[in-house]
Amino acid sequence: MDVLFFFEWLDTSLLADISKAYGGVFAMIQMFHLLALALLGGMVLVADLRLLGVLLKDVPSEVVCESTNKWFNLALVVLILSGVFMGSAVAMKIYYNEMYWAKMTALAAGIVFVYAIRRPLLRFDHSTINPWTIRLVAVSSITIWFTVAACGRWIGFS
Amino acid sequence: MLNEWLMSFALWLDTHSWSTQLHESYYMYPWIESFHVLTIMIFLGMLCVIDLRMLGVAFVKVPASKIAERLDMPMMIGFVLMVVSGFVLFYAIPVRFTNSIWFRMKVILLIAAGINAFLFRAKMQASTDSWDKDRKPPRRIRVGAGMSLALWSGVVVTGRTIAYDWYDCHRQLSYFMYWVAGCVNELAALDNG
Repeated sequence: MDVLFFFEWLDTSLLADISKAYGGVFAMIQMFHLLALALLGGMVLVADLRLLGVLLKDVPSEVVCESTNKWFNLALVVLILSGVFMGSAVAMKIYYNEMYWAKMTALAAGIVFVYAIRRPLLRFDHSTINPWTIRLVAVSSITIWFTVAACGRWIGFS
Repeated sequence: MLNEWLMSFALWLDTHSWSTQLHESYYMYPWIESFHVLTIMIFLGMLCVIDLRMLGVAFVKVPASKIAERLDMPMMIGFVLMVVSGFVLFYAIPVRFTNSIWFRMKVILLIAAGINAFLFRAKMQASTDSWDKDRKPPRRIRVGAGMSLALWSGVVVTGRTIAYDWYDCHRQLSYFMYWVAGCVNELAALDNG
């Protein structure tokens, strides 16, 4: 399936009219993208470092993970919405950019990982889960989300 | 006076061969800059968790002081990594950063965020016992947390806008803007012209 049509549409959409014409608006939206990145990073790190037994050891890991879910969702939604806006300014550039597709691949993997694997698994009492499974989940989660962020920054350099 | 002093300091840094090599490196500068951006996830991430707890909207089942104390260490690790990589980035391009109004605003916001954090910490430690387990901390604590998030948002946006050259010295700017950006050569040209 070729998704070129989506990028061609985005490139001439109203969003692109705004994002290309007003650098200040673009910078403000990008601020939200970066703040949501901070929020997502904080939630991922607090939950995963708790699962690894590094942080907040005297708070049940179920409580820590559950407290982060809502904020992770919010951060992800803000990141995707602001990301589409930012993408509209350079839609044809990113369509042909390998780093952009690396980021989208990592992002897709991250979303599947969180909603299809991590959350369903961690809904069980954590003491009944193999500790190595928990560690693997935590390390995978940190790796995936830092990869997404790093690829995102690198789009600008490539 | 201050502008001249800052400029001569930047010009002095600029004579270092390491500074030039970093600036002109193909991969090293982007790597350090990516690292600097990713430390947002550690430092500002932990800060977000603490401030959202102090606003009474996240981690309400965990005592506020516990969140603040336990996340302090990872937050400070993130802060140190961020500051060190930030200094390296400045060292690589000292003159342009010194003459950037965004960079100047960022430094002022950083100082303001630092003062806010210092006052906030003192206020919190003086009174945690009375509200530690409350879902919603008292108003003065919530105001401090809100200020912290607002100031750091400002640091992020001014940090990002350094990349734009809208108000760089090579642009046609007013005398005031040249002064704010510290464009000493352009100011001298206007004074003599």
